[in-house]
Amino acid sequence: MALIEARSVSRNVATTAGKLQILSPLSLAIDAGEVVAIVGASGSGKSTLLSLLAGLDLPSTGDVIVDNVSLGDLDEEQRAILRGEKIGFIFQSFLLIQSLSALENVMLPAELAGSRNPEKQARELLEKVGLGERLTHYPNQLSGGEQQRVAIARAFIGEPQILFADEPTGNLDTETGSRIEELLFELNREFGTTLVIVTHDDSLAQRCDRVLRIAGGKLVEQGANTEAGAEEKSSAKGNLATGSKEATTDVA
Amino acid sequence: MWHKISWRLLKHELRRGELTIMAAAVALAVCAVLSLSVFSERLQLGLMERSAEFLAADRVLRSRGAEIPTEWLERAEQEQVAWARRTTFNSMAFANDELALVDVKAVSDGYPLRGHLEVASEPFTEGVIAEGLPGPGEAWVQGSLFQQLNLALGDRLEVGESEFLVTKVLSSEPDSGFNVFADSPTVLIHYSELAGTGLIQPGSRVNYNYLFAGSASDLASFENWLVPQLDDVSQRWQNIQDGDSPLSAALERAERFMLLASLLGVVLAATAVAVAAQRYAQRNFDAVAVMKTLGGRKGQVARIFTLHLLLLTSVSILIGLLLGIALQASVVGWVSGALGYDLPNTGVGPYWLAIATGLLCALMFSLYPLLRLLNVPPLRVLRRDLDASGLSRWLHWGISGTTIFALMVLYSGSYLLSLALFAGGLLAMFLLLGISRLFIRASRTAGMQAGSSWRLAMAGLQRRARENSMQMLSFSVAVMLFLLVLALRNELLEDWRGQLPDDAPNFFVVNVASQQAEPMQAMFAREGLSATELYPIIPGRLTAINGTPVRDAVSKEERDDSEFREGFGRELQLTWQADLPAENVLREGQWFAPGESGVSVESQVADRIGVGLGDELTFRIAADEFTVPVTSIRDVDWNTMQPNFYMVFSPNLIENMPATYIASFYLPDDRRPELYSLFREFPQASLIDVEDILAQVRDVISHVSLAITFVMVLVIGAGGLVLVAQVQATLEERQQELVILRTLGARSSLLTRAVTYEFVMLGALAGLIATIAMELSIYVLQTQVFNMAPSLHWRFWVLGPLLGATIVAALGWSVCWRLLRQQTGNLIRQLA
Ligand SMILES: Nc1ncnc2c1ncn2[C@@H]1O[C@H](COP(=O)(O)OP(=O)(O)OP(=O)(O)O)[C@@H](O)[C@H]1O
Ligand SMILES: [Mg+2]
Repeated sequence: MALIEARSVSRNVATTAGKLQILSPLSLAIDAGEVVAIVGASGSGKSTLLSLLAGLDLPSTGDVIVDNVSLGDLDEEQRAILRGEKIGFIFQSFLLIQSLSALENVMLPAELAGSRNPEKQARELLEKVGLGERLTHYPNQLSGGEQQRVAIARAFIGEPQILFADEPTGNLDTETGSRIEELLFELNREFGTTLVIVTHDDSLAQRCDRVLRIAGGKLVEQGANTEAGAEEKSSAKGNLATGSKEATTDVA
Repeated sequence: MWHKISWRLLKHELRRGELTIMAAAVALAVCAVLSLSVFSERLQLGLMERSAEFLAADRVLRSRGAEIPTEWLERAEQEQVAWARRTTFNSMAFANDELALVDVKAVSDGYPLRGHLEVASEPFTEGVIAEGLPGPGEAWVQGSLFQQLNLALGDRLEVGESEFLVTKVLSSEPDSGFNVFADSPTVLIHYSELAGTGLIQPGSRVNYNYLFAGSASDLASFENWLVPQLDDVSQRWQNIQDGDSPLSAALERAERFMLLASLLGVVLAATAVAVAAQRYAQRNFDAVAVMKTLGGRKGQVARIFTLHLLLLTSVSILIGLLLGIALQASVVGWVSGALGYDLPNTGVGPYWLAIATGLLCALMFSLYPLLRLLNVPPLRVLRRDLDASGLSRWLHWGISGTTIFALMVLYSGSYLLSLALFAGGLLAMFLLLGISRLFIRASRTAGMQAGSSWRLAMAGLQRRARENSMQMLSFSVAVMLFLLVLALRNELLEDWRGQLPDDAPNFFVVNVASQQAEPMQAMFAREGLSATELYPIIPGRLTAINGTPVRDAVSKEERDDSEFREGFGRELQLTWQADLPAENVLREGQWFAPGESGVSVESQVADRIGVGLGDELTFRIAADEFTVPVTSIRDVDWNTMQPNFYMVFSPNLIENMPATYIASFYLPDDRRPELYSLFREFPQASLIDVEDILAQVRDVISHVSLAITFVMVLVIGAGGLVLVAQVQATLEERQQELVILRTLGARSSLLTRAVTYEFVMLGALAGLIATIAMELSIYVLQTQVFNMAPSLHWRFWVLGPLLGATIVAALGWSVCWRLLRQQTGNLIRQLA
């Protein structure tokens, strides 16, 4: 049973030049515990797809089903609650709240969900991402990599079933980027979280169970990785990728 | 849980100074309203008290010819209103075998209810405050009678059938007024002595005045009971504002100015709040998007930010209150010190008003930005350009307009004034908006030939023409209100100073015989005293208008009231002049041509008795009756210390009738001792010392000047805040662009200069627009609200643009400099 399922979703936007289709109808399914990369050229529609899968936006046609709930049937409030309960996010630009300290940023989702005392958990998570000493620092006192680690801690505090990451390493140097990657996979292993990662980074895509390739708003490929990363991944979690078994030919 | 988030956000934002402008604006509005309303209320109470001294009471009931029913006075006592009698009539007095016409003034215990009597032991010297009233058989007598009757203290003075011992020189009476003609020297006796003089007989012309004083509410309820019962012919109810007091005009203007200026101050502070609130919302767009993405529900987010705002507002209101209290206390202390007496205290009203203003300002002006904020879609986390859509701008304008109107009503307590100001403001805003767009468009070509910083600056102006015209609007409004208040203040002060120059006449000389008129003029010239002309006075009565007889209190004929026209009911002081008297202004008609016969009527009197050009007036002078046409209507400034007349005749008519003469002159303080010797050759002439009245008026005016200066400072503060808020907002919005230009290698000096030039232009244009708008508004205000002559303010045409350019550019420069001083990398990170 797929955790996330897209049924012929598409997205049109109205522009001055008329209606523009930025995502052609596509269907896909992502299983619980799976690690999926969405790749494609800039402007191809990756973020658009991500926003639809995460319920941040609604498709023009089709429907997205998350954990057996059709997002189209929910209103904005209900989708917010669903996000709060099941979904975590990491963004290229971190998007920490500038007026809250690292600890407070991490606690925020739990507090919004009404959790009584999220501080202990938030501390532990920050320890885990290596920022145990920086709890009271504000975002502008942290480096990009550090901010992203805070964002990861924030994403995991609600123990989400799904984590969406839009180019989580895009703003970071290679070394910091791979540290962040490590962290993501580690948390994925520990909590069994399903990861959906938009990335331009091939080596990151390689390590995922499956790669969804988008070109010009069309899903052109959704194959399983056969390489080392994927094996390492599947052995760790025992959840086998369910996508099509066509061989993937990765492009550099 | 959510309240913790609000608190945390607030704490950090306060510490980083992100909310300072918003907090400062709210605090300023609260502080301004509090200090202004407390101060102006206290000042007004003080002024009322002082002005009441001109009446010697809060209210006076004047009754001609007859006492009022005693139950009226009993009623006053029931209402906790204090009262005293003041009965006056003219009589002859004898002393040392000489005879003089005097004004007998019999007063009862308690007189004066307001102000003080002052007595001295020598005529025309400084008096001291008198305790009580003249005792049985005693009289206090004005200085000029000493001169006329060769009196000395201890002499006996015969009035009617009584004989009084002259025990003191009456040097100052609070209610002496300005009516120099009526003023034969006063002989003050106790009311209980009145009957003994035998002078009160049926038909004798006696003025029975009743003085009342009490709290405003008691007086009001007494007044409501009493006034409907007055017959309005022989009985007249009078209070300080009724225009008889020389101060009433000044007071009224000052009151209007304070009200207007504080309204403008509040509107400015509100504008600053609005600008800052907009920024506040924009700054939190990301936070809201993130919260929503992380599962925050709309209601939750709304609660977080509403509480956030409420906390901020409460803190700001508290600061505003504290500042207001401190400011008000120090200003009141200062003013009291300058005036030499304490100002009365007020109730808690102003505090509520201030708090209400703070809440209204902060909450209503943040309402639209807040609604926008709450509508930010979570998708903004991926599509950074998204902000709240679907909220109409009209909602914004609607809310702001309603709030400003509500503030105006709350503050002025008058729908009419608020509506007028509001409509005027709206009109001015559209005009300003139109003009600023025009200016920005016109400046396009001008910038093309300029150097690189200028070109960049011009490009900046062009690209943001739309936002810039809004900015320009708020710059212009701030500069305009600032100029307006400054100009108005100067106008008012100058106007008052013009009325009462330091050498304003402080003595009147009356009863000058015609053969002495020329010697007296010669004496003035010889002694270098600045004096007015000597005006002839011929007493006479107006008996008919266009052949219809006028009602006259002393006419003995019993006739149906409806057959009469409204007249004066008393003797008039008539004069003749070949030329229009100085400081009189012709309103209608022409001044007499040589040989023409006619009369020129003072405008207020003309309105009251309903005569206009061409009407035929019949006068009786002694036994002669004659009829003349009205050939002109004059405006007379009654606040000037010179002889003024209701009726001025052409010379040919009454030139040869027996007249006495009157003049006023200025005698410097150090020459007062010479007074006796100067006038020794004119023993019949009477001198009237108006120095006290002048001093009182000057004192009140210095008061009011202080007050309006204080109001002006507050308005300037509010205007400055609007400018700071707007510049800050503008530059923050453009931070990104600046950073990009910087990253692309633009030197910071180039950028700073470009921004500064842009703001120089914006500021200068705003200043120019503001000056134009200021001239228009001041014209309307001067003619419609303050009853002053309109004037142009050339200085402001330079000052306005200069001020606008300097302030706006300086602010722009400092904000930009602060932005660019930071490392580019740091800036980029902040923008992420
Ligand atoms: N509201 C909109 N109006 C117009 N065009 C839009 C809108 N939303 C997205 N697009 C267009 O749709 C296309 C896909 O956008 P999207 O953000 O999904 O690209 P992306 O694959 O994430 O690119 P990148 O790798 O650069 O982030 C782009 O060309 C974008 O300009
Ligand atoms: Mg993208």
